[in-house]
Amino acid sequence: MSLLAAEGIHSFYGDVQALWDVSFEVDAGEIVTLIGANGAGKSTLLKTVAGLLAPRRGRVVLDGRDVAGEPAYRLVERGLVLIPEARQLWPTMTVRENLEMGAYSRAARPERAKSLERVLAMFPVLEKRARQNAGTLSGGEQQMCAIGRGLMARPRILLLDEPALGLAPKLVREVFAALKEIRAAGVTLLLVEQNVPHALALADRAYVLESGRVTRTGPCTELSRDPRVREEFLGIASI
Amino acid sequence: MSKILGVLADSLLAGGLYATMAYGLAVIYGVMRIINLAHAGFLMLGAYATLFLFTRFHIDPFVSLAVVLPAFFLIGVALYLAVVRRLPRSGATPSMESLLLLFGLWLVLQNLAYAIWGGDTQSILTGYTMKSISFGGVRVGVPLVLVFAASAMSLLVLTLFLKRTYVGKAIRAVTANRDAALISGVNADRISATAFGLGTAFAAMAGTLMSTLYAFTPDFGRSFLLKAFCIIVLGGMESAAGVALGAFVLALLENVMGAYTPIPTTFQDAISFSLLVIVLVLLPQGLPRLFTRISRPAHTR
Repeated sequence: MSLLAAEGIHSFYGDVQALWDVSFEVDAGEIVTLIGANGAGKSTLLKTVAGLLAPRRGRVVLDGRDVAGEPAYRLVERGLVLIPEARQLWPTMTVRENLEMGAYSRAARPERAKSLERVLAMFPVLEKRARQNAGTLSGGEQQMCAIGRGLMARPRILLLDEPALGLAPKLVREVFAALKEIRAAGVTLLLVEQNVPHALALADRAYVLESGRVTRTGPCTELSRDPRVREEFLGIASI
Repeated sequence: MSKILGVLADSLLAGGLYATMAYGLAVIYGVMRIINLAHAGFLMLGAYATLFLFTRFHIDPFVSLAVVLPAFFLIGVALYLAVVRRLPRSGATPSMESLLLLFGLWLVLQNLAYAIWGGDTQSILTGYTMKSISFGGVRVGVPLVLVFAASAMSLLVLTLFLKRTYVGKAIRAVTANRDAALISGVNADRISATAFGLGTAFAAMAGTLMSTLYAFTPDFGRSFLLKAFCIIVLGGMESAAGVALGAFVLALLENVMGAYTPIPTTFQDAISFSLLVIVLVLLPQGLPRLFTRISRPAHTR
């Protein structure tokens, strides 16, 4: 049984349908990536799975239980945590407060001090910035703070929405190194990423999303040889 | 010189009261993006509750806060659970349904007060109502000083609550970014109930404090609601300090106009509304944003 699965998801923004019959699954310990062009529905899918958007039809199955339509905070308690697009930190709260709020859920709160120690060990720069407002951080630091906040919730599965967006190449490498470290600690990852070469290099399996539908899936090694994927996402023309 | 000091003292004292009154509106708007039009109704009921405790049990108005605050907190929570949570979720702006519901609630509260107490003007006269004391040549009424002390203390406790406790931080988190709070495990529904209780309690507290200064009828509170709007537009909603700043600016403007211009005090409401319009046009994000804009270069935002 997979840790997380979506089965036939249809999602809407108001009256506009964004996802058509989307299914995927993630096994415990895997890194799975969702790739696709801008507007393909990747963020919508993550929001639906994380409980920020209720699907019109379909099931979201976590540990064998349908959790579609449950509010996000309850999924956090079950160990499913989203690190959203554009970080969504609280800019007028300090870095420390942002991190501490990550451990708000009943399950994570008793472990707060230990989690904080771990996060600060992973991202030492956050320790230096602890008393600053999160709004004053650089883009890379904000991303680390957002990942740190997600880890404070003690996730079993972490959903990441474009963690490398807008970062300099050196920082992109740092973020991906952090993701490897997180996986090594036993956390399952579902990654949405525009940076397809990096995503395919890191993940075990990938799903390709086009106009709100899953069009292709398979192990990353296979997909990165697929001529259409190479042409569309890796910028390599097939001969 | 002493006239300036007098104006400043009056502004500071009135500002404390205004801040208490406006914070109730600010916390509800911040967490739920709902404008509590029933705010004035709770303010009025707070005054009547204090009157009731004063005439029936001879409880001093300031002591009655120990009853009024928890009672109205619970009323607010109950009201949220029974009615307000059923409203369709407001997006960035308050929904028409929420405005209608809370406006209707205000009318119900007003008419409830008419039914119970009638329309006569009420006032609370204590042994210190007419007394005044002087600070360095500036004479101020004892009730006003006590009102300020109670307001300042409540805002201090509130600030500590928002800064130090988990629930307080969650209120700030939901205010600043609701989705971010949800994905951090915050039960936004529970926080909304808490915020509605807190807002109701602060409205009633302002009513209690005002009952020691002004006479009141079931219509009481309308002009204060308008002032509260003005204050939260000026001061923003994210901190008690911002609200206090907005409150002081409004009180200062009113007092300066009263002392140095021939504008009669009956035009005070016109002052707050003119200020509201000016601020919305020139400084739509309020005073605190102006400061952050100055102290922080644009590219880091």
